[in-house]
Amino acid sequence: MEGRPADDSDLISRAQRGETAAYEEIVQRYQQVAFRTAYVITGTAADAEDAAQEGFVKAYRALDRFRPGAEWRPWLLRIVANEARNRARSSGRRHHLELRLIEGFRPGDAAQSPEAVAIASDERRRLIALLNAMVDEDRLVIASRYFLELSGEETAAALGIPEGTVKSRLSRALARLRAQVEEAPLA
Amino acid sequence: MPDLEDQLTALAGAIEWPTTPRLRVSLPARRGGLGWGRPLAYAAAAVVLIVAVLLAYTPTRDAIAAWVNLHVTINRVQQVPTPSPRPSAALGERLGLGTPTTLNQAQARLAWQVGVPSMLGGPDEVYLQQPPTGPSGGEVTLVYAQRTDIPVSGLTGVSVLVTEARGRVDEIFFQKTVGSEATVEQVTVGGHPAYWISGHPHDFAFVDANGNVYGESLRLATNTLIFDHNGTIVRIEGDMTRAQALQIANSI
Repeated sequence: MEGRPADDSDLISRAQRGETAAYEEIVQRYQQVAFRTAYVITGTAADAEDAAQEGFVKAYRALDRFRPGAEWRPWLLRIVANEARNRARSSGRRHHLELRLIEGFRPGDAAQSPEAVAIASDERRRLIALLNAMVDEDRLVIASRYFLELSGEETAAALGIPEGTVKSRLSRALARLRAQVEEAPLA
Repeated sequence: MPDLEDQLTALAGAIEWPTTPRLRVSLPARRGGLGWGRPLAYAAAAVVLIVAVLLAYTPTRDAIAAWVNLHVTINRVQQVPTPSPRPSAALGERLGLGTPTTLNQAQARLAWQVGVPSMLGGPDEVYLQQPPTGPSGGEVTLVYAQRTDIPVSGLTGVSVLVTEARGRVDEIFFQKTVGSEATVEQVTVGGHPAYWISGHPHDFAFVDANGNVYGESLRLATNTLIFDHNGTIVRIEGDMTRAQALQIANSI
């Protein structure tokens, strides 16, 4: 239908037939989640950009073996995350994702969700500080699920762990964070 | 006070992310007609030469990532990091090969045919690695302790290691970090592109089914030939010449 954006499966089919423009549209559509997923893993924007870029190229090379009807996002994110992990390891740096709040963020901003209004600025800062003090494993699974808004399958792909492990790891991480919050209650 | 999970959900909008760059993905020419479920096409595609990608793609900042194929990652660095000393354990444990077994037992547990190089004869030891510590399709290593004309390697303690791995297309089986003194050459095995890494030991790590590097400390590897054999990624490692490695590969 004219004016209606093509769905993923249509774009992928066209890309599989060699339409580079279709794949470029896929890149446009998924570059943010790919980049941010890589950023969560590498901790640097430069490495994340490289990993996302390489991941898209590698996924393109593998398009022929993408199963029709399969979910594209977890498939892509697994490839991008593999690239990000390789990059993080080869750099030799011990990565630590430091979560930050948007400067000047106001709950009343038009773009914010109603829930955001419920959290005062000090509370957000305290929560971020507690998250940043958590071990990497806990912080990454929480960031993937709540801040990147990845599904369980996508989080598993991004972190390179089974989906069942995502659930148990997330549950334990939330329990530890909850205990921290209760120990030092937010205002 | 809102529930913790609601607070985290609400916090998503307040997280500061780096600006998403406009990714410039240079798309290499793809070979058409490789449909899913065609084993030969799958096997051939598994070792598609990525040099075309490298030529079309701007090298990255601090390391040039060269892909031998979809399952092997090679990182180019100026200097190979020194790996942690290997524990003085049994061969399989020391080299991270998996569980000791026999060729027949390994074959019985794998859905694909293990290739045995006739030039080397029967292996002296066999190891099997399966998920979660190995690739999803499993990985088998044939150990040849001593063979005429191939010295025992000071890095592995044996003459030849032949490792074969199989899994999903998005899995990376082997990760290699190659320094400036090592060379990576493109060769051919059975008509398929293959890679010969030689000249200087390189870092080597196994990668499991979930993309995790198996073991924190990488080990050094000596001369290595990597190629595809009917959809299985095979690596042959030993202090041998390129001609010897190719002879072994062609005898599978």
